Amino acid sequence: MKIKEGYLLREVAGNYIVVAVGEAVKEFNGLVNLNESAAFLWKQLEEDKTEEQLVAALLSEYEVEEQKAKEDVGAFVKKLQEAKLIK
Amino acid sequence: MKRYKIADVVFDAKTKYVYSEKICKPYEYDGEEKPSFTVEITEKDVGFEREKAELTGVKYPDAYLESLALFRKLCDYLLDKADGIVFHSSAIMVDGEAYLFTAPSGTGKSTHTALWRELLGDRAVMINDDKPIIRCIDGAFYVYGTPWTGKHKLGNNTRAKIKAICKIYQSKENVIKVADTKEMIFVILGQTIRPTDLEKMRKLTTIIDKMLGAVDKYVLGCNMDISAAELAYNTMKRGGKDEN
Repeated sequence: MKIKEGYLLREVAGNYIVVAVGEAVKEFNGLVNLNESAAFLWKQLEEDKTEEQLVAALLSEYEVEEQKAKEDVGAFVKKLQEAKLIK
Repeated sequence: MKRYKIADVVFDAKTKYVYSEKICKPYEYDGEEKPSFTVEITEKDVGFEREKAELTGVKYPDAYLESLALFRKLCDYLLDKADGIVFHSSAIMVDGEAYLFTAPSGTGKSTHTALWRELLGDRAVMINDDKPIIRCIDGAFYVYGTPWTGKHKLGNNTRAKIKAICKIYQSKENVIKVADTKEMIFVILGQTIRPTDLEKMRKLTTIIDKMLGAVDKYVLGCNMDISAAELAYNTMKRGGKDEN
């Protein structure tokens, strides 16, 4: 899976936000606010990744239990799916 | 074709209706500077504004729509080439420093800056009551008057360094706080023109990022009493030492 075209992650004054550009504006005119680890996962998903790869990436970047990493990745992916931000 | 200088940018504009020329008159320019660009407002541009207005359920005369189209094209150029953005707000200058109040339409931005004028008399000068332009020049942020002065037609062809920006909401009691940076990102993005172009969106977020580091930020709950202006002015002129 991968973030759809037209979504831009930006760091603004220490905060991570996602805005839509191009055709995506028609589908999504809001703003997403991400915390640091979510922004990290988002960056991973700018290229095609599986959930397992995301968990592995999270584990290599943060000191976190594997079980917790799996849960966090699962919850984040679910949110992205609900918001139709990944394909 | 008329030549204007708005937000320190010289450009030529070809418009059809008297209205656009009338509101831009204080910005006519006959100096030495060469124009940076030429803009022509077409039927298509007017149609675009008409559709946008109709989406929100309002109908405007074509002459007014043309002026909106001119504004949009100017903002597009400013964002692309001059580190400039529109910030839907009421901007007032006191002793040479600018204070910008923003809120959804109908909250009372104009009412609040009217209270500042009542409080401060001649020391307070309106820069623009609706659509001022902000530019980042050598790392400092300035607000400029524009011909688009809002319902009360208040504004001047001037500029000032921004001291503070403030989100306001209606409240029985007057209360002011240093704003949360995250909240202000959303406020600014909600009160500017958001480009659909990727590069311009990058530029917009970069400008906002710098601006939030360069100006003081507040949230003000206010009523329509003069004490609202006293509280806001006395707090904001001191400067926000708080960082968050």
